[in-house]
Amino acid sequence: MSLAATSLPRSRRLHLRPIRLAELSFLLFLAVVMGLPLLFLLTGSFNLSAPGKPAVYGIDNWLRAFTDSGTLSALGMSFTLSVVRLIPAMILSVSFAWLIARTDMPGGKFIEAVCWIAYFVPDFPLVLAWILLLDPSFGFLNSVAKSLPGVDASLFNPYGFWGIVWVHTSTGGIWFKVMLLVPVFRRLGATLEEAARVAGANTAVMLWRITLPVLAPMILAVSVLSFIRGLQSFNTELLLGTPAGIYVYSTKIYDFLQREPRAYGEATALGSVFLLVLAVLLFFYWKFLSGGKKFTVVTGQGYSTLRVKLGKWRYVAFAGCLLYVAVTMLLPLTFLVIGSFMRRYGFFNIASPFTVNHWHNMLSDPIFLVALKNSLIIAGTTAAGGVLLYSALAYLLVSRRTVTAPLLESLCWIPHVLPGILLSLGVLWLFLATPLRFVLYGSVWGIAVALILADSPVTTQAFKAGLLQLGADLEEAARVSGASWRYTYRRVLLPLLAPIAAAVGLMNFGSALTSISTPVLLYSHDSRPLAILLLEYSFTGELERAAALGLLITAIIGVMMLIGRKLGLQLAGSE
Amino acid sequence: MSAVVLEFRDVVKRFGSVHAVDGVSFTIERGEIFTLLGPSGCGKTTTLRLVAGLEEPDDGEIIIAGKPVAVPARGLYLPPEKRQLGMVFQSYAIWPHLSVFENVAFPLRVRRESSEAVRQRVAQALEIVGLGGFAKRGATELSGGQQQRVALARALVYEPEILLLDEPLSNLDAKLREQMRAEIRALQNKLGLTILYVTHDQVEAMTLSDRIAVVHRGRFEQVGRPEEVYEKPRTEFAAGFLGRMVSFAGNIRKDAAGCWFEWNGNAARSPLAIIVAATFDDGAPVRLQTRPEDIEILPIGELLPYQTIATVEQVAYLGESFEYHVRAAGVPLVLTVGKKHRYQAGDTIRLALDPARIHLRAR
Repeated sequence: MSLAATSLPRSRRLHLRPIRLAELSFLLFLAVVMGLPLLFLLTGSFNLSAPGKPAVYGIDNWLRAFTDSGTLSALGMSFTLSVVRLIPAMILSVSFAWLIARTDMPGGKFIEAVCWIAYFVPDFPLVLAWILLLDPSFGFLNSVAKSLPGVDASLFNPYGFWGIVWVHTSTGGIWFKVMLLVPVFRRLGATLEEAARVAGANTAVMLWRITLPVLAPMILAVSVLSFIRGLQSFNTELLLGTPAGIYVYSTKIYDFLQREPRAYGEATALGSVFLLVLAVLLFFYWKFLSGGKKFTVVTGQGYSTLRVKLGKWRYVAFAGCLLYVAVTMLLPLTFLVIGSFMRRYGFFNIASPFTVNHWHNMLSDPIFLVALKNSLIIAGTTAAGGVLLYSALAYLLVSRRTVTAPLLESLCWIPHVLPGILLSLGVLWLFLATPLRFVLYGSVWGIAVALILADSPVTTQAFKAGLLQLGADLEEAARVSGASWRYTYRRVLLPLLAPIAAAVGLMNFGSALTSISTPVLLYSHDSRPLAILLLEYSFTGELERAAALGLLITAIIGVMMLIGRKLGLQLAGSE
Repeated sequence: MSAVVLEFRDVVKRFGSVHAVDGVSFTIERGEIFTLLGPSGCGKTTTLRLVAGLEEPDDGEIIIAGKPVAVPARGLYLPPEKRQLGMVFQSYAIWPHLSVFENVAFPLRVRRESSEAVRQRVAQALEIVGLGGFAKRGATELSGGQQQRVALARALVYEPEILLLDEPLSNLDAKLREQMRAEIRALQNKLGLTILYVTHDQVEAMTLSDRIAVVHRGRFEQVGRPEEVYEKPRTEFAAGFLGRMVSFAGNIRKDAAGCWFEWNGNAARSPLAIIVAATFDDGAPVRLQTRPEDIEILPIGELLPYQTIATVEQVAYLGESFEYHVRAAGVPLVLTVGKKHRYQAGDTIRLALDPARIHLRAR
């Protein structure tokens, strides 16, 4: 008794303090790493001297940025491109999702799986592949077209507005939207459509009058989100826009920072403008989402058994889906393979056009080996760091024992809408203007920190979903059984979360490996990762070698994603 | 050691501005099955979680086996793992990554028992709950009823001070529920367990418990043996939640000759024992309440005290009995009656109340 009585107050301290401590340190950490870059971005735009030098404040940056004729047109181009891209992307993804989820099209599961795989194909190699196919001087499709009678000029040109739009319809965007929309279409209450049928509507009337209007808020939400995320795009615009003199704001920022000396002030001013525009957009998006509760019928109730019978058109639909996948995925990837094995790309008629030299040269290039090592360190650190950090954050958020949960949550959502180039610019300011300069600037660790930040929304949400699905009972049962928190974590939480951690870790590894816009402002000669090396190869016109490197990255991602999917499936099977 | 295993003294637990547990005091004695009965959201599960240490009280004292485990005023709080309790969760909370054996062995492993002792005691616990041959199974290969037994074995394996059961039967089908109820009762007899049981099912509470606490809005409305709570419900809520209650409006009449209940409607003046009516004045509007099973249906005839005229509106044949929907003085009642007499819809009948089983409440 006396022993228990004296030890009790201490156990209360032990119980409460770690949670509070963890909460506060998370808040501080997130505020520093998410908030400070933004703050530096805004104040830095008024700072006339370079980062790390004594600050001189003024509005010259803003004046110069906006007297530069290209600045406003770059902002305008960002919006125009994002809107124009959205139209075909939404039509295609809604059609795909409807065909997969609501019709008797054969192979729907297969097409869904293909979309899932296609989503993870990194976009930069695909952009390269389209250059190999469409370039006016050596593009394969142009050569084919020229051999046709009556065609003497190049038919296709990827450099320019429509080239960018076209390439975007073949990279990640569409597949991602299909993955978002398929569950929405599946959850649509079957009774709504059945009632329309009974009331005498045929398929077309039902689709037009019931299905689409009911789903309209969700489709609109996906559109707005895609639009905002579309503004973050960098790679395609850099490779296809810059040669044609088309700049979007992200490539413009990059351009400012490629000048000698680096125009930090102008870049930061432009970034700040975009940040404000983004804030306004997000405000309306949020208003729209929180006000849009009119169509809450999209619930899990009455999972649809009714599938629209397409008759003989179902084969046409399947063929159409396959054709689209073939043209936008298989065709470019095939030419990436061919390109990487050609002595000189486009010259099919020379003696022995094929060679393994590019692969051989690349793999024996010391620069490549350093970049590979850098990439593995960066991606490994990003994956492990993200899993550790955000699993703990998700645990805090789910445990409901935090008082600052809403604040924590909104901080961790910031990178979801913050374009990589702006995040990277903010982090650059943070590194340059603080003592962090000596540790993180230009090092692989600095890049990893920025990438970990970029992963925060998706990773945290994945862990939150996992923890919510497990429920608090499993943990509480262990506590009541007599296990300390640490023992519970080791024996119960960790093994149960391991599959999610592995899947999320792999995904973050993959995105760290392929990210260009985040490390592009942060790398130095010693910390150059593979993706940046790929960018350099394509700038210097070494297309064959770039193709080989692009394929290598794609292959690594492919393997990781298959492992991830397997782990994900195992998790689903155990419940 | 005293026979009191658990004591609550004015325990308060707030969630924001809601008082989930609002100044509750009670004790549980060794070897007793004590049930918290109430609708969802009444605070019964929160009370259980306070015992387990999964929630911290805002005020009051919680004492387990003579040892204070939570006294917020003194900053004292013992985490769940130090309280020596066993708990079966509504969802069972079987760890899906561990086998049946490892699930049950967990509390022993935490307590660093020797592997021989673990093997022996797990086997014993599984035997007790009737899962002798299941040790090697994966936890997810079990049916709902079997998972429930594993959860029970896990809670019993180290002989806890109190076994906490949080709606343990609510996820089972009706037949299995009946069987598990009997088994829990038998287990308690055999092992002399002290059980704190949470349920919203009155049949479960009535058949299992030594004592029932009817919980409403974070307060204990009544604590007592099942018969006591059922026969003499102290509050309106306790009366309504345990079984059905019908009530007739009327007034108290008092004069030199005695006290009467005067019905609103066609019924005989019914004499009341002085003591029953003591708290009411002459003319006070009251309700006369009784359980429907205490009402008898008689053919029409002279109205005696505690009888009233009613009309049959609907008859349903239930096989073992008849269900009559009748209306008496504007009050609709549903009465289940044996098959001896048979009345048709539209018949006028007499309802006879049992004067020994009525309650008066102010209107």
